[in-house]
Amino acid sequence: MAYTGVTPSARSRGMVREARHLLFTVAPGATWIVIFLVLPSAYLMAVAFMSNGPYGLPEMPLSLESFRRLAGFGFLGWSPGNLYTLLRSLWQTLVSTGLVVIVAYPIAYYISTCRAKWRPIMLLLVVVPSWTNQVIRTFGWMNLLAPGTPLSNLAEGLGFIAPNMGLYPSNFAVTLGLVYNFLPFMVLPLYAAFEKLDTAQVEAAQDLFASPVRAFWHAVFPQTLPGLLAGIVLVAIPAFGMYVIPELLGGGKGMMLGNLVANQFAGGANWPLGAAGAILMLIATFIGLFAMRRIGKRLGGGEEVVI
Amino acid sequence: MRKRTLKRGLTGFWWFTLAFLYLPLAVVVLFSFNASNSAATFTGISLRWYGRLMGNEEILSAFSNSMILAITSSVIALGIGCLIGYGMYRHRHRKLGWLIVLIYLPIVLPDIVFGISEMAFFVQVHRLTGLLQPGLVTMIIAHVTFQIPFVALIVYSRFVGLDPTLFEAAKDLYATPIKRVVHFMLPTIKPALISAFFLSFTLSVDDFVISFFTAGPESATLPIYIWGAIKKGVSPEINAIATLMIGAVAIAAIISLVFSRRRQA
Amino acid sequence: MNDTITAEAIESPGARPAGEATQGEVAREASSIEMRGLHKRFGRDTVALDGVDLTIEGGEFFTLLGPSGCGKTTLLRILAGLEEADDGRLAIGGKDITEVPPHKRSVNTVFQSYALFPHLSVRENLAFGLKMRGLPLEEREARVAKIAEFIKLGDLVDRRVDQLSGGQRQRIALARALVNEPDVLLLDEPLSALDAGLRSQLQVELLRVQKRLGMTFVFVTHDQQEAMVMSDRIAVLNGGVIQQVGPPREVYEHPVNAFVARFMGHDNLYPVTARQGGRLTTPLGELTAEDAGEGGLLLIRPETLDLLPGEVAGDNHLPAVVSERLYRGSHAEYRLEIGSSTLQATLNNRGRHLPEVGDRVTVSVAPEDLVTLSE
Repeated sequence: MAYTGVTPSARSRGMVREARHLLFTVAPGATWIVIFLVLPSAYLMAVAFMSNGPYGLPEMPLSLESFRRLAGFGFLGWSPGNLYTLLRSLWQTLVSTGLVVIVAYPIAYYISTCRAKWRPIMLLLVVVPSWTNQVIRTFGWMNLLAPGTPLSNLAEGLGFIAPNMGLYPSNFAVTLGLVYNFLPFMVLPLYAAFEKLDTAQVEAAQDLFASPVRAFWHAVFPQTLPGLLAGIVLVAIPAFGMYVIPELLGGGKGMMLGNLVANQFAGGANWPLGAAGAILMLIATFIGLFAMRRIGKRLGGGEEVVI
Repeated sequence: MRKRTLKRGLTGFWWFTLAFLYLPLAVVVLFSFNASNSAATFTGISLRWYGRLMGNEEILSAFSNSMILAITSSVIALGIGCLIGYGMYRHRHRKLGWLIVLIYLPIVLPDIVFGISEMAFFVQVHRLTGLLQPGLVTMIIAHVTFQIPFVALIVYSRFVGLDPTLFEAAKDLYATPIKRVVHFMLPTIKPALISAFFLSFTLSVDDFVISFFTAGPESATLPIYIWGAIKKGVSPEINAIATLMIGAVAIAAIISLVFSRRRQA
Repeated sequence: MNDTITAEAIESPGARPAGEATQGEVAREASSIEMRGLHKRFGRDTVALDGVDLTIEGGEFFTLLGPSGCGKTTLLRILAGLEEADDGRLAIGGKDITEVPPHKRSVNTVFQSYALFPHLSVRENLAFGLKMRGLPLEEREARVAKIAEFIKLGDLVDRRVDQLSGGQRQRIALARALVNEPDVLLLDEPLSALDAGLRSQLQVELLRVQKRLGMTFVFVTHDQQEAMVMSDRIAVLNGGVIQQVGPPREVYEHPVNAFVARFMGHDNLYPVTARQGGRLTTPLGELTAEDAGEGGLLLIRPETLDLLPGEVAGDNHLPAVVSERLYRGSHAEYRLEIGSSTLQATLNNRGRHLPEVGDRVTVSVAPEDLVTLSE
């Protein structure tokens, strides 16, 4: 046997092979996302810094006009319309996320206390409505809240709304639609947290603390916090950018940021203004994600948010 | 004592929430059988709105567009996503932060930003090159873009759940690289591939916003048609199409339940 | 290059009549392993193998023994082709296979986790390697049937993988590798996941299979008892370097250094502070060794010691006090104090007097049982 001794290339050859493999498997998808999402988003951001041309299309020169417009400065001086839209988006996000938590928390807990064989069915029952198209679901609420329906008549009888107005279009209808739409996104991660609940800790807490409220606060709540945070990310971020629900249930006075942005494109009115709104939405999204990551890390849960 | 009250209260709340979740869908289904065209009062049972669907060219073409879009995009996304999922698994010890960011981008991007980015991009590409005129092709591209991450993550997590020595066992047992794919990897991840396909399909059919902004005049899908019909003024026909779509989802739900039962058994 | 499986390898070693020495010699030749200067690093700093030279004879039951991280598994993976050495050559049956990919090597592995394919039945698992090599269906079935009989799998063959117990999986994994009739079988701690009873039962079975097939087995373990029971020869590894190679008795009774001695379970190691011919000065006192050697450490194996009641003067006699006794039925283990040193002793229970804690005794050891070794 002739041993030649040194083969210094064995290591580097292996590395080259691995790198080629990585390229072959990952490149098609990565390229696809870069061309059809990163590039378009980058273009959209660039549009925000261009001037508005005829037909609403972007033009040179670069300007910050679109951000001025977004802040409410138009040809006729400052108007609060866009600012209201922005505040309404924040408010709706806050209220609907809060309501979703209030409904989802007991529901997730309840499912986790039921018999194991029922739990998958119960979860499925919660999730199935979200499998139907958003437009159809929202359309269902339009039918329910329209003037003359039992719910509207009830609200009218109790004096909440003026006669023959119906519950939609209104900000209330939008909130309801958002809660309806996002409830499953909160129930699932919370349920996962409840299912993993360390019952020994809960029992220890029941021994240690006299009141059930304190036992809950010290033993149960901290354990569900990672699930809660995941749920808040899953609800708040898409809620802030919601388009369909305010468009159908909100009417002119229920507009949110998503509608403001979309209208600049759908109507061909003003691309740069719409793009500026989109940037605002992106900033909010990334702040939300970043904040959740930070809080999540501090809690030591370290759990990745996976949809 | 107190515990039992709590449990009873929760049970009540559970049924109330279920009613809240299914009421809007139930109303749509109910009024699709309404004899009159009133959206507020139910006057009697009839199938006339379903009859009208059959003769409606626009609806039939929207339906076929939806199917073409969902199937084509899911197949493409399955191929590309599967490769990425495997690549992520195989090279999981490397620093792939950039890839993770890329994968999560379509998931975290708000629908509306996603949609208008694609639209602005396609319009400009079309203006400059004449390619990618808004229509089914642009919709397929956009749908594949948001389906890839889901396929990749499902395939990735299936691979992560496997004993890594299985890959070595296949090598050790004389399987060439191609035979490893055909006789080991694909059969092993088959369940993941099936669920990834169904998820992609569902995401595609479910999507409205991104489709809406990337569609052309001839490529309206069912959700886009329904949207248009709602905007024009509510017609009871919408209840009928919507009911059919809800029915499809109900069937899918039952199938998935049966599947998960069987897997447990 | 060993691209195609050789005729010798395909022909079943089990079916070969024992008398035909010439063919047997060919098979032995074909399945010897030579390793020269194997090096392997992981990342920048982790050295897994630091120059391994080793020859394994055909038909040998050879064990790579060492603590975790010693490089034994890396060496096995290089043999399988699952890992590529940074430097050095590897040959099986005289053919250099350093760069041959795993699927072209006539080498099969029994993995620690068994690695049975979950998507296949037991029967399909067994036939996997044959199918990948493109053997026709009838031959695959015949070979699977033969191996199933040989390993006594019985009706396990028709089960699903997830219906098997740990021990059953282990046997299927063994059969799945053997059915290919490789030149060399590699076993990566195949018994470590099993409980003690099953483990010793399978040790016997594995040994029986190896002897009947006459196949080269390379076995990796961190359990020195297992290594001694199974092996024709053992290589003890530490820090990616082979410390000692030899038959179990040699490695156990004449370890070459303190690491091997300790790893083989020896605790009675004492520095030699002075020597004059065979006369060694140690913390225990002065002792005469027949074959003193040059090593600076004296090894006293507990089972070579005898305990005499009271103080008995004599050569290689040491006065001691019993500080601990563990009665184990067949034997008793003692901890003895000699001055400030302690000494372990094992006494067979042959109905004689067994000293008790606190007793003054005299330790007696024969000069031929004393060994010195290097640090």
